[in-house]
Amino acid sequence: MAKQPGSNKITTSSTAEYFSKNLQQVGFSSQTKAILTTLKEAVDNALDACEEHGILPEISILVEKVGQGSLKNSDQIRIRVEDNGPGIDPEDVPKVFGEYLASSKFGRGRCSRGQQGIGISAATTWAQLTSAIGARVTTKTKSMRKALSCLVEVDIKHNRGVLKDRAMFDWDRAHGTAVEFVVDGRVQLNGEAGLLNYLSGTTLVNPHLTLTYKLPDFEPHRVDRVSTSIPEIPEATEPHPHTMKLGEFIAHSHLFGRVKVNAWLKKGFSRVNEGTLKDLSQGGFPASLLEKSVDSLGDTQFKNLFVALQNLKLMAPSTKSVISIGEEGFAKSIKRLGAIDFFAVVSRKPTICDFKPVQIEVAVARLEDRSVEAESAAQVLRFANRVPLQFDKSSCAIVHAIESVNWRSYGIVQPKNALPQGPYIVAVSVVSPFIKFKNASKETIDASDELVEEIRRALIQAGQKLSKHIRREVKANELEEKIRHIEQFCPILVDGLCRITEASAARRKKAEDGLVKILGRDAHVTKTELDEAHAVLEAQKSSILADEIIAEEVRD
Amino acid sequence: MPSTDQNIPKLSKELCSRLLSDLERAKRPVLYATKCSLDNSIYNHRNGYLTPGPKKVATELNVSSVKKMARAIFMLEVLLRNIDTGAVNTKRELYYISKGEIKHNPSLRALDFADQNESDDIIDFICEMLECYREELNCYANDRGGQTYSQQLVVTETLPDGDKAVVDLSKLGTTPFQPKNRPQNLKLSARKKIDFCLIVESEGTANTLVANGFTKRHASILLGAQGVPSNAVRGWCKLIQDQLSVPLYFFGDLDAYTMQNIFRTLKAGSAASLIRNSDYSAPDVRFLGVLPEDIKKYDLNDYPVKENDAQEVRALKKAHDALKNDPFFQDKKNKGLAQILRWLLENKRRCEQQAFFTVDPRDPTMPEKIIVDKIKRGNFV
Ligand SMILES: Nc1ncnc2c1ncn2[C@@H]1O[C@H](COP(=O)(O)OP(=O)(O)OP(=O)(O)O)[C@@H](O)[C@H]1O
Ligand SMILES: [Mg+2]
Repeated sequence: MAKQPGSNKITTSSTAEYFSKNLQQVGFSSQTKAILTTLKEAVDNALDACEEHGILPEISILVEKVGQGSLKNSDQIRIRVEDNGPGIDPEDVPKVFGEYLASSKFGRGRCSRGQQGIGISAATTWAQLTSAIGARVTTKTKSMRKALSCLVEVDIKHNRGVLKDRAMFDWDRAHGTAVEFVVDGRVQLNGEAGLLNYLSGTTLVNPHLTLTYKLPDFEPHRVDRVSTSIPEIPEATEPHPHTMKLGEFIAHSHLFGRVKVNAWLKKGFSRVNEGTLKDLSQGGFPASLLEKSVDSLGDTQFKNLFVALQNLKLMAPSTKSVISIGEEGFAKSIKRLGAIDFFAVVSRKPTICDFKPVQIEVAVARLEDRSVEAESAAQVLRFANRVPLQFDKSSCAIVHAIESVNWRSYGIVQPKNALPQGPYIVAVSVVSPFIKFKNASKETIDASDELVEEIRRALIQAGQKLSKHIRREVKANELEEKIRHIEQFCPILVDGLCRITEASAARRKKAEDGLVKILGRDAHVTKTELDEAHAVLEAQKSSILADEIIAEEVRD
Repeated sequence: MPSTDQNIPKLSKELCSRLLSDLERAKRPVLYATKCSLDNSIYNHRNGYLTPGPKKVATELNVSSVKKMARAIFMLEVLLRNIDTGAVNTKRELYYISKGEIKHNPSLRALDFADQNESDDIIDFICEMLECYREELNCYANDRGGQTYSQQLVVTETLPDGDKAVVDLSKLGTTPFQPKNRPQNLKLSARKKIDFCLIVESEGTANTLVANGFTKRHASILLGAQGVPSNAVRGWCKLIQDQLSVPLYFFGDLDAYTMQNIFRTLKAGSAASLIRNSDYSAPDVRFLGVLPEDIKKYDLNDYPVKENDAQEVRALKKAHDALKNDPFFQDKKNKGLAQILRWLLENKRRCEQQAFFTVDPRDPTMPEKIIVDKIKRGNFV
């Protein structure tokens, strides 16, 4: 709402109108970014929809140039994303693609990629503004015999989707959605902000995804899934007292009306039970207050109760409130990024940072490809709720954490307080129903001390695992070097000695054999050390397997 | 001299055969070299210089040292050939010679030196193994310092081809005689009796004294040390002491650096050159000044040691240790010198040799007068 200068009339501008004027806030701030954002919104939605319906996602992507754009120095680009998801009810199609703030995920406190119901409508708006065509949608649900094909446009004045060109046709699949945009922009393939980086990041954190894509100047490409387990969507759990602020706490009570405080606490929160209530009164909170009705509590009493709860040690929020990639899937997935010498994956237990449940998972890998310059920084892949973050790297919690780790102690080159260097990939995934971003365009995770420390711990564990590989490699190099040394210098040394002493050929032979024998003993020591390092690694591998088996058993 | 050029080939052959027979028996060869450090230095005022104690440094042949060893034997061969033919070289030339050898013999490529430091280290390593001087391997450093003036001294040099060259220093005018670091080929004699030899720390001040007529007025030998004395200067002073039996005096700055690094090296050698001190020290040389008492006596301009004077601050620290650990300064015979070190530590002041020019700024021969007067009165340590 805005008060117009010089008039007393108060006008209501539609949400669509607001966003259409402020598209830069939601990722459409440059021509290259517009392409990336459009693709990203469509792919995120496809992955979310599949996950929610227990479908193993198969997504195919087409990005192609179709002509010149209307904007200066721009191309007209077609972006098409097709999924095997549940499809969209024809009734919902105008809402999904043409109406802002229409979302099935809104405010559920889940770790889905999409959160607000802005993403795909913004893409439609951009298409409409730059090339005068909206979103071309094809969709079919299980219950439909034929698929719906139509064009959706945003009625910006009324924040409403409008359907055009409706047609029904036979689609050779049970269900799915295809969405196509023609927009103005420029395709950037390489670099941190490039499409390729987005796609490889997306495959990395989605081991269960099969992806095919065709990009300009590239042959069609297919990446197969490495896992057939679909991440389990956690059942909605009650909020955890430590994840709330006082205001939220009081507001939460209003949902319950006339119930006793103790009943409200037990029913309305997770990780609060009879034992917790005992701890409360033992800690000095008046037991009589717990027997009172919630709606009779005053602000000070709420505050006292809130503070008392904060001071209690409660069980962490249910591990089920966050979705994890899992060490096994992550480990398999990282091999899809390219040939890898070795890697380490760490999945931390879910924990609380800044009152919110969060789970950190990291993968560090060394690439076989040494074409990158030795002094260039390691490749950093950042993820928030399994969506790659590609902008504004320097202020991100993930980068702060990586820089704070002493990678040198694991045998990796690192200038002081900077990113490690060399042919490494450091991937960090932060999953949480409430990620705090630094800015509106959701490109950097706020670097709070607690979160940075949690990420740092995960990285240190990964570094320690990795260092065993690096150490073994150093030992192997040492052995190779020693053998080469022996081969190179023994004959030269013995030759020289024989020339100076004018010794016979027989002495020469004997001396050379003797020298090789002496130095061979040294090499043997190194060989033993190498074998030991190898054994440590093997033991570590089998203990990981054992851990996994235990984890399986617990789940059963 | 303990070992002559003839000994080196013999010593080398012995060393190589020992190595070879160890190898034949698959026994790991170990080489021992004298430990050249203060904690292995012995001082006896009867011979007057620092000598090595019993401590040795062992180098064992193993995978990491085999390269160094192979390089050393390769370089030794080059040096033995030089000794055989009488050729001499500097370290830099030897670096290029070895590069050339390797270039023409691809099987040696693994030995190649990346820079001169590497080949220098190998030459030093050979010296340690054979316990000999670089010069005995016909490897000579650039001669530095020791420019000498005298109206009485005559030097006779035996050249490698057996010819003799006679240099009468009185015939050289203001041109100094430059001693070589092969003093064993020089024979000294005096046309007239020489009263003393004066070694001046600063080459420039030595020049000034001569230009103002010092050597005309006094039957003497005057030479400039040019800072820390090179082997040439050290050997030359010993030669003057041994062959002419004239008293030797050192005239330099009053500070901890001059006392320990310049004067002590000249008189008794250093810990780093333990094995060569016997041939490169002149134990008779006395410290003429500047003495602490001279400051008051002549009202000399002295000044406190500045904190940013890294060299002198370090030298003071070293002086502190020297009084506790250095056998030279601990010897009763050198009590006077130790006293000067103690004075320097207590007062943290220094006084330069050129301060004698303040005494009478209009008289250019004033420093000369003071020096001669000090010698006459026995005013030295
Ligand atoms: N490919 C698809 N298959 C099935 N449902 C979809 C698909 N795309 C979108 N939807 C539905 O449309 C809704 C709106 O999508 P939209 O991208 O606008 O918002 P969102 O994903 O919930 O949040 P965000 O603005 O953060 O992306 C989604 O919540 C989902 O229910
Ligand atoms: Mg979305």
